[in-house]
Amino acid sequence: MAAYLSMGEAHRRINDYLSRLSDAISDSDGAALASLLAVSSAPASTPLSDALAAFPDFARLASDRFPHLSDFLPQLLRAIHSHSTRRFSDAYSSFEKAASAFLQEFRNWETPWAMEAMHTVALEIRLLAEKADRELAMSGKNPDKLQAAGSFLMKVFGALAVKGPKRVGALYVTCQLFKIYFRLGTVNLCRSVIRSIETARNFDFEDFPVKDKVTYMYYTGRLEVFNENFLVADQKLTYALVHCNPQSESNLRKILKFLIPVKLSIGVLPSRALLEKYNLIEYADIVTSLTRGDLRLLKQALDTHEDQLLKSGVYLVLEKLELQVYRRLVKKIHIIQRQKEPAKAHQIKLDVLVKTLRWLGIQMDVDEVECIMACLIYKNLIKGYFAHKSKVLVLSKQDPFPKLNGKPI
Amino acid sequence: MAAAPADAKAEAAKMDLLEDDDEFEEFEIDQEWDDKEDGNEVVQQWEDDWDDDDVNDDFSLQLRKELEEGSAQKS
Repeated sequence: MAAYLSMGEAHRRINDYLSRLSDAISDSDGAALASLLAVSSAPASTPLSDALAAFPDFARLASDRFPHLSDFLPQLLRAIHSHSTRRFSDAYSSFEKAASAFLQEFRNWETPWAMEAMHTVALEIRLLAEKADRELAMSGKNPDKLQAAGSFLMKVFGALAVKGPKRVGALYVTCQLFKIYFRLGTVNLCRSVIRSIETARNFDFEDFPVKDKVTYMYYTGRLEVFNENFLVADQKLTYALVHCNPQSESNLRKILKFLIPVKLSIGVLPSRALLEKYNLIEYADIVTSLTRGDLRLLKQALDTHEDQLLKSGVYLVLEKLELQVYRRLVKKIHIIQRQKEPAKAHQIKLDVLVKTLRWLGIQMDVDEVECIMACLIYKNLIKGYFAHKSKVLVLSKQDPFPKLNGKPI
Repeated sequence: MAAAPADAKAEAAKMDLLEDDDEFEEFEIDQEWDDKEDGNEVVQQWEDDWDDDDVNDDFSLQLRKELEEGSAQKS
């Protein structure tokens, strides 16, 4: 509980906050202004929130003192007050009104001095909306605030993604939008912002701040994974990996979580040390299954981590590794045959494959095996042809197992 | 009572919509770092020439045994 506060002291504290805010604006001090707008991270009781609780007429105090900011300050104080009393839906609604008023002011400022504050507003509105939606869902109401925050941020994006000095701040807002769209499962909405970022002729992508570039590449890389554009996904996620803050282990881990399946799909394996360092051991058995040609291990690994892999959206990518594992198994059979009987090494009886698969716990008849081998040949994972009558896979004598060489299957 | 776990599951699924385990963590607004391409050791942790002819690992030895047994049965 907040300690007892005299009206005079409460009045003084609120006035003090309002003065600092007004000073930050008149001094064009973006960092100071930003620090005064961080609502969602405040503890339940702060000197200001205690004062707001003790002085219910705070909104009028604000609008009387700063009439030119009467759309902004009273709503901001309401948001702070509601947040401190854990009424998150109310806090969101007030903050959105304050944010709209702030955006209006921001548009009128010619220089981007307030960019840091605008970014704080963009972050805060998303975090408050998440809190509000959790509260609404718990009480059986429709959680629609995050979507509303997305609409607001599109307006912010519109104010920034224009010619001129404010554009450098557009990518940060784009990343906040990505976080909302990924959470809501409406990733198709990413498309229009991406187009606006990537087709700009008057602004070089490299001129955006590195933290925003890394975040942007992480999300667009994930989108490319969903679209199965593995080469582009590789480029984007590798960019994120290379440029990410080396201290930020958790973000590096998240990048790798998507980059590893992409790399596997083009035949590149992560080192064991990498998997261990970033606690991505769920991929270790999958990697081993590829080097061994062990179809049983691949199935086991996919089954064990199915929920997690499905949730991240990489299950389908990993499932497709099956063909590479088949290829590796056939290659091993070929090598073992070659050591034993070099003259016949390039002929692999389908019957032998059926038995080997049975050994690995996979029940398949000759026709099914033939079908899979046909697929491997078609995808250029194996070079060879069938002697259909004698049920033999005849491997090419030259380079029967072409390397993937970074090409997706 | 039997319905309780299902309800809990449905509730969890509903809350799930509001979670994203893979959400990228915010970098501090003024956070900066030395952005060098080779500064990041994770870049060197990949291997693309693993598809060798080595068949002396445990799995290959078992496979060899399997293949030999298979052909022995036939003859």
